[in-house]
Amino acid sequence: MLLEINDIHVHYGKIEAIKGISLEVAEGEIVTLIGANGAGKTTTLKTISGLRTLTSGSITFDGTDISRLPGHKRVLAGIGQAPEGRGVFPGMTVTENLLMGAYARKGDFGKDLDEVFELFPRLAERRDQAGGTMSGGEQQMVAIGRALMSRPKVLLLDEPSMGLAPKLVAQIFSIIKEINDRGTTVLLVEQNAQQALQLAHRAYVLETGRVVKSAPAADLLHDPQVREAYLGGELGAH
Amino acid sequence: MSTNETIKNGRKPLKGLPDRIRDRWAGASGPQRWTVYVLLFIGALLLPSDSIGQFMSPYSDWASVLFFPIGTYVVLAIGLNVVVGQAGLLDLGYVAFFAIGGYVMALLGTKMGLNFWEILIVGVLLSALSGIVLGGPTLRLRGDYLAIVTLGFGEIVRQTAENTDAIGGPRGIAGIPHPPSIEGVELFGVEIFKYGVLDPRPYYYLLVVLATLIIVFVKRWEKSRVGRAWAAIREDEDAAEVMGVPTFKFKLLAFAIGAAIGGAMGVVWAGKTISINPNDFLFMLSATILAAVVLGGSGNIPGVVLGAFLVAWLPERFRGLSDYRILVFGAALVALMVFRPEGLLPSRRRRAELAEGTGGMGTLGAEVATPESQPAAEGAAK
Repeated sequence: MLLEINDIHVHYGKIEAIKGISLEVAEGEIVTLIGANGAGKTTTLKTISGLRTLTSGSITFDGTDISRLPGHKRVLAGIGQAPEGRGVFPGMTVTENLLMGAYARKGDFGKDLDEVFELFPRLAERRDQAGGTMSGGEQQMVAIGRALMSRPKVLLLDEPSMGLAPKLVAQIFSIIKEINDRGTTVLLVEQNAQQALQLAHRAYVLETGRVVKSAPAADLLHDPQVREAYLGGELGAH
Repeated sequence: MSTNETIKNGRKPLKGLPDRIRDRWAGASGPQRWTVYVLLFIGALLLPSDSIGQFMSPYSDWASVLFFPIGTYVVLAIGLNVVVGQAGLLDLGYVAFFAIGGYVMALLGTKMGLNFWEILIVGVLLSALSGIVLGGPTLRLRGDYLAIVTLGFGEIVRQTAENTDAIGGPRGIAGIPHPPSIEGVELFGVEIFKYGVLDPRPYYYLLVVLATLIIVFVKRWEKSRVGRAWAAIREDEDAAEVMGVPTFKFKLLAFAIGAAIGGAMGVVWAGKTISINPNDFLFMLSATILAAVVLGGSGNIPGVVLGAFLVAWLPERFRGLSDYRILVFGAALVALMVFRPEGLLPSRRRRAELAEGTGGMGTLGAEVATPESQPAAEGAAK
């Protein structure tokens, strides 16, 4: 397993946000976490990237225990994240944003930049524009491209579809597929369960800080309970 | 299309004079820039002449005013700008480091008989250390929480000085030695290295040299990896951390550098003033310096220098209005913030940040999720 999370508990003050989540991500997979607001999806992701500290449990990445490693060192270990709400640096240009993604690395990033621009031609057109002046979809592209600049083994994506028009959502998801095809493992947090389940290999359903279901994504697409709760019941049937 | 143009440049199509100057500056060659730097330096040295002083300061001695408050505020504002403008950490107790520098000069000068230059080094190191001591436990806080803690720190330092008899208590310390003089070096009739009681100009020249050195250092940091890290932290701290920026370390560094600059200014200031007491280091000074930074254009050194100059100079210039000048001054500050919220000379990047409404001082960090606000949001969703 590339990433193994074992019975983690995370607290905000006295409130327990994550009540013992375990999950695994194998190399080359797309794994998605779905669930409602407050289920603990984002907190799980933040805990993996090191922005939240564990109360108990452990996170193993690539064979080493990273539970106590500070966030900035996990980037070097190979965890890249496009954070919640995109987290684009508003005052930096697209290129500067992307180069921040390679901050922890040394060397020449020209090739990596070209790769990102190839993946997102839109960003190439706007490379000198300030991040804060871009549209939501473009900012999401910057966030994903920036995370790729660190050459991650696993890419953590936090609601890449949030606030985007349906057409853009489809575009972003096809790019995620493309990134995965090129060999990057993806852990995707989504509220847009329909899209996420169609894309992912496996999925975990989270509810109030616990995993309530885990199965191949295709199975969950047809699971009556999941359909009821996250896919709009029979209305969502095609 | 004009809107496209706006997006491309990240600014309004109708460009003001500052923008045009900035465009010229961006295209200027190395020698051109150096010419401007040298002219600015010479200009600063020529400032304390009587002909300029007659207009600038009809009520008090211009050269004295140039040293304090103007020069002092400028240096303090540059130091606070590292913390507030570059790293985006709101510090309301900056005067504490100025006080620490001042007290180091006063104590080591009167009790241990050290020379000014030795004390300057000790003062810079000690205040940087105090910045780290303050930052270590508190930089885990963000936005307004950090502001409150720093506010407290400023008061703690002053109260401690006031209640410690060994350092003079409320009476402070008198008889602080001046920097050692070198007699006989005359330039235009001024003995530039004679640090006496009467002539403030040598101190002013010393301050100009100090300010120049500080600006050179700060500029170099700004353009280095350190500056990029600060910008990232200011704009989105969590994103910076997941980019691999050791955010805590760099915030601590900003605090230490800001503190060292404040401390250096404290030493130089105490070296001229002869006597200091805790009431020289009131919260008002922290607030005024912060006002100078925000007013001038936080994050942009020319802006910050201009802001500090105005904040220091205007009340002196209009001393004739007696107490009303503070009222007028306050109204002027409010008006400026209404019409130019980004400051007089903001950096371009800063303006883009403000337009976005996130990042550092843009919202004073208020949008950042705190340990308290987040579970409330999650709880509400349940």
